Amino acid sequence: MSDRIFAAALGIIVLIYGWIALNTIKAPFQYDPLGPESWPQLLALVMLICLALLLWRPDAAGFDLTQPSALRLLAMLGLLIGYALLFKPLGFILATFAFAALNSRMLGASWRGALAFGFGMGVGGYVISAGLLDLNLPDGPLPGF
Amino acid sequence: MTEVFSGLATGFSVALQPFNLMLVLFGCFFGTLIGALPGIGPINGVAILLPIAYSLGFPPESALILLAGIYYGAEYGGRISSILLNVPGDAGAVMTTLDGNPMARNGQAGKALSLSALASFIGGTVAVVLMTAFGPLLAQFGVGFQPSDYVALMIFAFATLASLVGANPIKTLIGAVLGLMLATIGVDSNTGVMRFTFGVPDLLSGIDFLVVVIGLFGMAELFHLVEQQARGAVKSIPVDRTFVSWADILYVRWTLVRASLIGFIVGVLPGTGASVASAVSYGVERRMAAPDDKMFGQGDRRGLAAPEAANNASAGGAMVPMLTLGIPGSGTTAILLGALLMFNITPGPQLFSQHPEIAWGLIASMYIGNVALLVINLPMVGLFARLLTIPQHYLTPLIAILAFIGIYTIVGNPFDLYMIIALGCMGWLLRKLDFSLAPVILGFVLGALFEDNLRRALSISGGDWGILLSTWESYLLYALSMGVVIGPWWRGRPRRRGEGAADKA
Repeated sequence: MSDRIFAAALGIIVLIYGWIALNTIKAPFQYDPLGPESWPQLLALVMLICLALLLWRPDAAGFDLTQPSALRLLAMLGLLIGYALLFKPLGFILATFAFAALNSRMLGASWRGALAFGFGMGVGGYVISAGLLDLNLPDGPLPGF
Repeated sequence: MTEVFSGLATGFSVALQPFNLMLVLFGCFFGTLIGALPGIGPINGVAILLPIAYSLGFPPESALILLAGIYYGAEYGGRISSILLNVPGDAGAVMTTLDGNPMARNGQAGKALSLSALASFIGGTVAVVLMTAFGPLLAQFGVGFQPSDYVALMIFAFATLASLVGANPIKTLIGAVLGLMLATIGVDSNTGVMRFTFGVPDLLSGIDFLVVVIGLFGMAELFHLVEQQARGAVKSIPVDRTFVSWADILYVRWTLVRASLIGFIVGVLPGTGASVASAVSYGVERRMAAPDDKMFGQGDRRGLAAPEAANNASAGGAMVPMLTLGIPGSGTTAILLGALLMFNITPGPQLFSQHPEIAWGLIASMYIGNVALLVINLPMVGLFARLLTIPQHYLTPLIAILAFIGIYTIVGNPFDLYMIIALGCMGWLLRKLDFSLAPVILGFVLGALFEDNLRRALSISGGDWGILLSTWESYLLYALSMGVVIGPWWRGRPRRRGEGAADKA
């Protein structure tokens, strides 16, 4: 069942992809027999055939996702989005400290372990990456190297 | 033959430079470290470390040597968590758990680890020797390739992929086409027309290769780890003082030879890597051993040596089509190919003549890496084994942080951070639905090449599709493609009929 839902959902996306390839992509002038639109059209066609085959004969495998797992995944997703949002404004050290501490706490570390880990990742990661390896990381409000 | 020796001389002069030598050792060490972490396979390890290796600003041959060392090391390290924890780092290591873990439970952990290290060494060395011999030949064969032959080669690559990787060929194809479609986003290089950018300026130059790699193999892995986390703590078996003996080595010598050859050949086939190689060699070994195969699955030394030799041999074999034809032989080499493209080096038949320092330097570094890995692994296995006890709740955030550092340092654009999260969700969903992700990255890497060659072929012929079937090379490749698609199906038929009869009886 999950295969069929997936195939149908992806099918809609591919139809939109194909529609764009058929209608909006056009080169102003071209000498080659195949323009920028042909390849995507071909791909959309192949994909639709494959998806139709999958719809016709899906695998039996179900979609087993327990509720606690789903909640943990959502929390993980939320944390990652938060980390991405704060990465530049807060700078690497603060954002990483918060993310590492909260994430390890969420996955079962003790508060003490989580805070120590966050501190180590934030400061240690910055010193190694920006200091030692000379990588470009955001400083945020803290003074950088 | 002289060409090979002069090439090797060039290669060793590159690989033995102190800086590159250090990178080989460094890569092997960190690769083993990453590979030993439970749940992280070579492909994830290379993916997570690739952007960091790229942004260090090394010359291309050095960066590639480092990455290949990591790849090799990770193939090596993967066996540690398979044997001691019964948790394979990736699909290629599954076969190692079958006999490796029972051996460790029978009080032969040290022997299992040292035997598998030796098997990996032999597999890896056989592969690199064969690669030295056949790589330049294959490159010569590829020199005369027309664009239309490249189209045939791609079709062959996708045919083997669909037929040999994953349980469901349709799903493998869908994955590959998904990768090809992702590759069409951005400005079309031939005409400058925008495709599927939806006016988002960050998408103009397409989705960065690194973003796709980190998203699919770093972030998706992360979600997978978080989902699996509730399964309870796994207990690691301590490393004891048992060690591999001459008798063991003599006992498995033919196994090692067979498995290395199988591994190399499977590795060379485009699209198929360690997982297929180890499964095939394990199956062959078991069938060869009958009727004396009672111990398989309960700690047979042959059952441990075969998949380990095969998966390291396939790692070497997979490099052959990548370096000589520009078609990666596995998911991980697809990532290495992408890494080369980032340095503006297009692998292909000309690589050996135009950039001998890269092609041969890499090969020479693989000789060195093999020896280094054996030397690192035999005495230090206890240290790597201790890594297995790193709690999952520290490992998971660590992966995310490495991924963020890697992506941000390359582009310095927060938009890409959202992209990796989105691709990570997509990758997780695909894995959950039994799609394998290697075809997606293969499709993504080959997308531009496939399209360009098709368009070039048709411009040459003035729009006549007949050009696709105009040379003997293309006939050969289409015949091979038909062979790999029909072969397994043909062989599967009588068996299925037999099973049906057994059901009725």
